[in-house]
Amino acid sequence: MTGVEIVLALVKIIIMIAFLLGLAPIAIWADRRQSAMLQHRPGPNRAAVYIPSIAARGLVAGPAVLFAAVAGFTALQKLSDRAAYEGTIIGIQLGIVVAWFSLLILWRVIRGSGAINGFERLIGGMDPRNIFYAGLAAHLVGLFLARSIPRDAAPVSVRVVLLALTVLLLAVGGYGASRVPDGKVAIRLAGTLHPAADALKLILKEDFVPPNGDKLLHALGPILAILPAFITFAIIPFGDKLCFGDDGDKVFGFADLGLLQRTVTDSFQCNGHVVNLQVANLNVGILYLFAMAGTGVVGAAIAGWASDNKFSLLGGLRASSQMVSYEVALGLSLVGLFVIYGSLQLGPMVEWQRQNAWGIFVQPVAFFLFLAAQNAELKRVPFDAPEGESEIVAGYFVEYSGMKWGMFMAGEYVELLVSSALLATLFFGGYTLPFLFRDGITVAFGDTTVFQYKMTHLSVSILQVLVFFGKTIVISWVQIFFRWTLPRFRYDQIMKLGWTKLLPAAIGNMLVTCIIVLAIDSAPAGFHEGLAIAGQVTHGILVFGGLAAFVAIVAGLLEPVKRRQFLQSSAARFAAAAGGTKSSPQQA
Amino acid sequence: MAKAPAPNPWTKPRGEAIKLKVIPRPQRTAEVQSYVPAFLKGMSITMRHFFKNTKEMVLGQKPDPVLEGLEEGITTINYPEEKRPYPERFRGLHRLTLRQDDSPRCVACLCCSTACPAQCIHIVAAEYPEGDTRRGYERYPSSFVIDELRCIFCGFCVEACPCDAIRMDTGMHATAYDSREQFIYKRELLMSFTGRDGSRETANPRHEPGDETHPGVTREHMEH
Repeated sequence: MTGVEIVLALVKIIIMIAFLLGLAPIAIWADRRQSAMLQHRPGPNRAAVYIPSIAARGLVAGPAVLFAAVAGFTALQKLSDRAAYEGTIIGIQLGIVVAWFSLLILWRVIRGSGAINGFERLIGGMDPRNIFYAGLAAHLVGLFLARSIPRDAAPVSVRVVLLALTVLLLAVGGYGASRVPDGKVAIRLAGTLHPAADALKLILKEDFVPPNGDKLLHALGPILAILPAFITFAIIPFGDKLCFGDDGDKVFGFADLGLLQRTVTDSFQCNGHVVNLQVANLNVGILYLFAMAGTGVVGAAIAGWASDNKFSLLGGLRASSQMVSYEVALGLSLVGLFVIYGSLQLGPMVEWQRQNAWGIFVQPVAFFLFLAAQNAELKRVPFDAPEGESEIVAGYFVEYSGMKWGMFMAGEYVELLVSSALLATLFFGGYTLPFLFRDGITVAFGDTTVFQYKMTHLSVSILQVLVFFGKTIVISWVQIFFRWTLPRFRYDQIMKLGWTKLLPAAIGNMLVTCIIVLAIDSAPAGFHEGLAIAGQVTHGILVFGGLAAFVAIVAGLLEPVKRRQFLQSSAARFAAAAGGTKSSPQQA
Repeated sequence: MAKAPAPNPWTKPRGEAIKLKVIPRPQRTAEVQSYVPAFLKGMSITMRHFFKNTKEMVLGQKPDPVLEGLEEGITTINYPEEKRPYPERFRGLHRLTLRQDDSPRCVACLCCSTACPAQCIHIVAAEYPEGDTRRGYERYPSSFVIDELRCIFCGFCVEACPCDAIRMDTGMHATAYDSREQFIYKRELLMSFTGRDGSRETANPRHEPGDETHPGVTREHMEH
């Protein structure tokens, strides 16, 4: 192992830990926010930091100026033909996104504080959905416009586009800063300051240890509970392989880091050095994950035992029996996937999904079995009998306080994030997008290619890393929703479900999958081509379904609402005269 | 032979079969047993609520908690950014209404302090100086003190006042102070408060001695 490999491994570990630790509080916030929105209450939004308006202006203008500087700097660089062409397309699309999104934000600001000039009156009078539709139309027009630019005009066009983007970003940042009100500005960040305040409070809180409890094991419990969650993330690939060139000495040195290949072929033939975007590429693959996740039970059991509390002991017992039971179904539900993917490693699994179809299309039954078993492993709703408030208060961590309790809490959400990353990798194509290959976008059904667009190795890699983290965030968001939808199962129901429903279903799924795979292997070649086309059709369904869902959701979100007023009381009449309920100066 | 006991409707009659009412077991179809359709339905309901309320919060479309409080959505009042206005007849802190010339309407008759069940009003009456047109008709309060901490906000003083000189229509409630002395409101402070309409006077006209509209006796009647 060379020095650069050690450094790269450290960087990957830091990325992983930063992602998990950064997103765990945000997941906690999302949990609270969802509960508030479902129950029609404002939710966690009282935590605020008051900053002077000059600083708020800086916060508004800063990112815009920063991006403008990047765009302007890129415009002044000498770019190769390929990069110039790609830069033109990306610049146009970015400019359109910035334009319609900042118009929507302006519409919201005008709605809140009124228009101050003719332009704002024009924007404020518009239906926000029309702004969004116009933006989408502009995206399409921009795409065709960019493709109609001849290749030899690209070096000029990229300068024009990027300079226009710079001007647009500066204008948006400047106007946004001028709209910040004077005086102290409350920064609430939609309530995300709440988990930060909570963490601060937990660190400063008294750490109570039960006098008759086992001091050592009591301290060890939270560590043993949080550690497996982190180390299971090590084998999940958060991006595709990177190919670095060689500077002649055949050894991977620091000088090679600058020699990232400009393009790679889809089959990834790399003559230099390959870097996996994955902390550990183990050949046992997912078996390591099962082994490490299995040790999570030790933390809960030890915490329950060491607390010297009968509720804790009951919670620890419930947790351990539940986690041990569901490990069997968890492992067996995935055997069908291994048979289809032909590998235990997660990287080849993702590659199979890129070439064929996402796991949820080939193993839908396994998806639901795995989802259920995994939620039981995580002790999350509806399988949270180990911490059932109505029976055993908080279960195995009833005697924990301060940051030790915080570690259990954070560990639960880190586990949630890791499980979402695993779900994304196994069933939702991991870091891949439909039709996105290592050499660019190729939309092809069978032998007919509908659309092709070549991209550089760097841009594909960055896109894939973003896609992986985005999928993880979306899936954990959906998983958090389970908590606000499903009622808790009784303990005997949990056991019955695990041993008499999930386990036989997993074994049956495994057998049926094996038979089908055997039958397909011996099928004629025409059948294989048909399957390949069916896989590409699933990719097409994903792309069009995803785009349609995005447009429908945004248009639905921007839909204006009609409301009826009830002026039945003098208080309501006073509020109506003041233009809505607000803080009135006459009252304390 | 003992008399046969009256038949108990709650026990089984001798020699007869128990009448059963068969309650059918709930239908556990495969759809219900598999849990998945119901789960997806529940998820769609929670997501609908989430998206609707989030969107209204982000776009500023939340129903107004007072004006549109019966509508769907989040109608919580975000105190202190939002406050429910007090109703029109809310009894807030007292104020002393003024005449046209900014002197208090109060004639120091002591009706309010007499009516006050909490005995929180203290008035020192004084005569107008020699030569003033009001001298001999009215007196004025040289000191008018209300202990707002002692006041029970019953409104009897307002009812008792014959001159519409004390009112509780400021719409203010007592603020939190750090000492008891600050709750003792003196004449000048009470005179500085305005009603909800922003005026220091009242809508009731005041008829000064010597005015055409003055209803009472004049100095000329003193001759009799």
